[in-house]
Amino acid sequence: MSDATTTTAAAHDVLRLAQPRPRWFVPGLLAGIGSALMAVALLACSAWLITRAAEMPSLAFLGLAVVGVRAFAIGRSAFRYLERLASHDAAFRQLAELRLGIFCRIVPVAPAGLANTGRGDLLTRLVRDVDDLQDLPLRVVQPLLVAGITALLGVIGIWLIVPAAGLIVLVCLLLAGLLGTVFSGRLAARADRELAPLRGALADEVLEIVENLDVLTAFDALSPRLAALARTDHRLRRASLRRSVGVGVQSAVVSLFAGAATLGALYFGIPELTGTGGLLSPQLLAPTLVVAVLVPMAVFEVFGMIPLAAVAWRQVQVSAGRVANVVPASPPAEIPADVVNPQMLFPADHAAIPVVLELSDLGARWPGQAQPGVAGVTLRLAPGDRVHLAGPSGAGKTTLAQTLVRFLDYTGSYRLNGVEARLLSQTDLRRVVGLCEQRPWLFDDSIRQNLLFARDTASDAELDAVLARVGLADWAARRGGLDARVGERGALVSGGQAQRIALARALLADFPVLIVDEPTANVDSAGADALVRDILTAAADAHRAVLLISHIPVPDELVTARVTLPART
Amino acid sequence: MRPLDPRLLRYASAARRFLLIGALLGFAQTLVVIAFAWLLTRAITLMVAGKPLREIVSTLAALAAVVVLRSVLIWLLEVSANRGAARVKSQLRARVMAKLAERGPDWVAARQSARLATVVTTGLDELDNYFARYLPQLLLTMIATPILIAAILWQDLASGLTVIIVIPLIPVFMILIGRATQSIQHKQWQALQRLSTGFLDVVGGLGTLKIYGRERRQFDRIRSITQEYRTRTMTVLRVSFLSGFVLELAASLSVALIAVSIGLRLVDGTLLLGVGLFVLLLAPEAFLPLRQVGAQFHAAADGLAAADELFAILDDDTVPAAPTADAAVIAGQAASARRAAGPTQQLGSGSGALRLAGVTVRRGDTVVIDQLDAEFAPGELSVLRGVSGVGKSTLVAALLGFVPVTGEITLGGAPVVAGATRPWLAWAGQRPGLFRGTVAENVALGAASAARGVRGRTVPDPRLVAQALDWAGASEVSPATVLGVNGDGLSGGQAQRVAAARAIYRTLATECHVVILDEPSSALDADAEAGLLAGLRQLADQGRVVIVVSHRPAVVSAADRVIELQERIHV
Repeated sequence: MSDATTTTAAAHDVLRLAQPRPRWFVPGLLAGIGSALMAVALLACSAWLITRAAEMPSLAFLGLAVVGVRAFAIGRSAFRYLERLASHDAAFRQLAELRLGIFCRIVPVAPAGLANTGRGDLLTRLVRDVDDLQDLPLRVVQPLLVAGITALLGVIGIWLIVPAAGLIVLVCLLLAGLLGTVFSGRLAARADRELAPLRGALADEVLEIVENLDVLTAFDALSPRLAALARTDHRLRRASLRRSVGVGVQSAVVSLFAGAATLGALYFGIPELTGTGGLLSPQLLAPTLVVAVLVPMAVFEVFGMIPLAAVAWRQVQVSAGRVANVVPASPPAEIPADVVNPQMLFPADHAAIPVVLELSDLGARWPGQAQPGVAGVTLRLAPGDRVHLAGPSGAGKTTLAQTLVRFLDYTGSYRLNGVEARLLSQTDLRRVVGLCEQRPWLFDDSIRQNLLFARDTASDAELDAVLARVGLADWAARRGGLDARVGERGALVSGGQAQRIALARALLADFPVLIVDEPTANVDSAGADALVRDILTAAADAHRAVLLISHIPVPDELVTARVTLPART
Repeated sequence: MRPLDPRLLRYASAARRFLLIGALLGFAQTLVVIAFAWLLTRAITLMVAGKPLREIVSTLAALAAVVVLRSVLIWLLEVSANRGAARVKSQLRARVMAKLAERGPDWVAARQSARLATVVTTGLDELDNYFARYLPQLLLTMIATPILIAAILWQDLASGLTVIIVIPLIPVFMILIGRATQSIQHKQWQALQRLSTGFLDVVGGLGTLKIYGRERRQFDRIRSITQEYRTRTMTVLRVSFLSGFVLELAASLSVALIAVSIGLRLVDGTLLLGVGLFVLLLAPEAFLPLRQVGAQFHAAADGLAAADELFAILDDDTVPAAPTADAAVIAGQAASARRAAGPTQQLGSGSGALRLAGVTVRRGDTVVIDQLDAEFAPGELSVLRGVSGVGKSTLVAALLGFVPVTGEITLGGAPVVAGATRPWLAWAGQRPGLFRGTVAENVALGAASAARGVRGRTVPDPRLVAQALDWAGASEVSPATVLGVNGDGLSGGQAQRVAAARAIYRTLATECHVVILDEPSSALDADAEAGLLAGLRQLADQGRVVIVVSHRPAVVSAADRVIELQERIHV
């Protein structure tokens, strides 16, 4: 199977998750069809009423039509309201299933196997893509079914009155559908291919100027940059103008065929009245023919949903493709799968036993990379050790950290108390080896909740104590104690405070082996040294081994050993 | 939401042009709609009268022509809307970028640069739908609806009055329902806000959750978050969908009322079939633009919200960009002094010590730096230090002329206050701020044009680039290395040293006298730091004023002079 087909198949799997089950979907669909049919019936009934009335029959003959016109007018709007409520409710019900389905796939590969989602905006994009898949039932499947079924019933109705007119309307519908979706889809795709790179280039240039306005100003380089941006903008505008000719084609085509269908119905309807008798009496024939002539207009109005659904379908496919791309159906080889029969080495109360971690010629690789991110690491960590791991950027320090908590698979040997890590269940291993990440994630909740998930039995007194240990007692008190919120993605706390909260969490979990990955990466340099000192002081414990990964110098008295990873070429 | 923001017309002349063309096309389209209804009515009445096809064929031909014309006009309206959107976006983008350049880096920094960049690019693209779908319908509402009502009135007074009575009811109900929706949304807003980001929070924190063995417990959480989200959103939707309901109901009920009333009068014989059909066909058309405006309301609102953010930037005149009164006087003196000295001397802008006397910097109402006196001597490596938040970077920004400052800043006795350029100063900030292109192009940023007066293109001097990299302790970085966006392709430490090399290159190439580096070694290991310090020593030895903002022990011990910024005691 080629790559393209696997991607498409994966995208289809994702799409299947987005379509609500029939039990939820059908009520909205029925209401939608009801509303569309009543819209057609309203016009048909009004036309029949007027034409029949012109023959001046007794009022009694019109009674039913009068009632029908009013009923269809109200019914159409009421059913439309019900349709929207029911279909949205169904889509939201399915959203829970969709999110769980995606989440199930993410769990085994996160975080190391999520292609390129290290950047926060891409993660946001993924989550938004998942939510955008709701458009599949709402803006694609539902309108297609409603418009398709209504159009078909309309065609049958016209065909019953004037068979040739029915056929003409059918042909017009098919042509309008084909040209309106396929042809304009092609045009849109071509425009996109031409415009997307220009849009990307423009966005890059704008971002570069805005983010580095200080540099450009200080180096007198702003005006040439703005001139270059103006040139890119000009190219994009020229291309957009060239492409604009294609954009209106779709509505124009639908309108053209709607007119053609009406003309066709007229053309075949007119001779019916001059010909000699049919099934209907002459009084009824004229109003019925007028219905056949006018109904195509109403059918085409409903049919107008289809080109819009085609546009939505293209967007949904893009979203599904992106989701499928980020979340592989099967984890890549570099992500360790959990062992089937793990060895049980650690009793539930692991804190009691000392843990020795030994690495020998350890190597690891990120998914999609040809070269190992780290190789040839030999290291021993025993209780009480505080080791500073240094090394130039790109030497593989973070790769090593991710490998030690088994987010990445390894080559060589990694043993805990003599047992190969590969043979342990990942959950067990992570009870023993903990990690404070470079960018610790704070949940949009209170400080208490952000600490409690490390040990949910901890009392408030214990939480206050651990905050004091990491130097946050005053800060937390100023914020209003444990109930203070940290904001979305920890927006209300600084980089240094986030690291301290992350450390407090790790201390609560009481990992026998604790890895701290670049705690000063998002801290201003004045605060960095103090943070490193506080981390090493707070984490120091005779039962605990600490591995501090840091590019900034660490004073001798704080560590027991130093390791330097060599630069990798 | 205002239907049409007047600022759009003020800031983008292309919008005015589109409105004019759109109005003409809308007018033509209205005439075509009336012609279509009239010809169709005529064909049907002839058919009902039992006329043979050959007598109706000319009407059918006219009808066909109108159908073609109608679809051409629809196409033209969309094309012109799209062209208008492209032009307006271009104009607004140019205006905002000019505004950013005018207001300066400090103003931009206070507004989240990434957010600003989004507003100018993808944010503006939200205007596409506003132009392509909303504005044309708004135009039609203003042009087509009155003409169609007049046509109906002319044919049948009773039907015309029905439409006239119903149409104003629609906006009234829309506003009432909009208010109700808003108050419900207001009540739900915080919960919806939290719930809508709840899934992101779980997915984003998954790594952390796995470290603590909590990943499996999230299934219930996701389910309950999403279910609650559904319940609360449906509460809002139940009300907000009512506006669509009212729109549709008004349109279809008035068609029904008109049809029934026409029918009854036809039975009486007080009305002709032709008139009845014509009115029946026109009545829905009178409501159509308004219904479309309602349907496109949300797309338009997104576009207008994006435009609003943009107009807020264009209208923002709060922070004075120009130096405050007495600094302006100094600036004026400096400018006249420079003019008197002639252009050759302006480049070097003198030598000697950089002296600050009574320098005060305010940010809003707070005084960040109060009456600072300091002297930085040529030939010396001066280190500026102080606790976090004491205003070191603010002082640097003040020297760069990015923030307004009062007091006196002199170089070799002559006042220097930066206006549009600062030829005496080379600087590297805390963020490397590198660009796409080669390392050599980055290092020589702007300097070549300043030195040689070459317009536009930067021509790096390879010998000078190598020297600058060497003095920045980055001799291992090849000048030919090609960088991606944001200087992608270098490690953090390398990027920092290339940024330092850029300041050094400017000093060497333009012989500017003062070099300021803000935390140049925060991402460097001890060896690289030593390399950079050696280079800075060479610059100082050449008689320049070298100022480094740092608290690193190695930097402090290499300094000839350490200036400690004190925290302000009085508040």
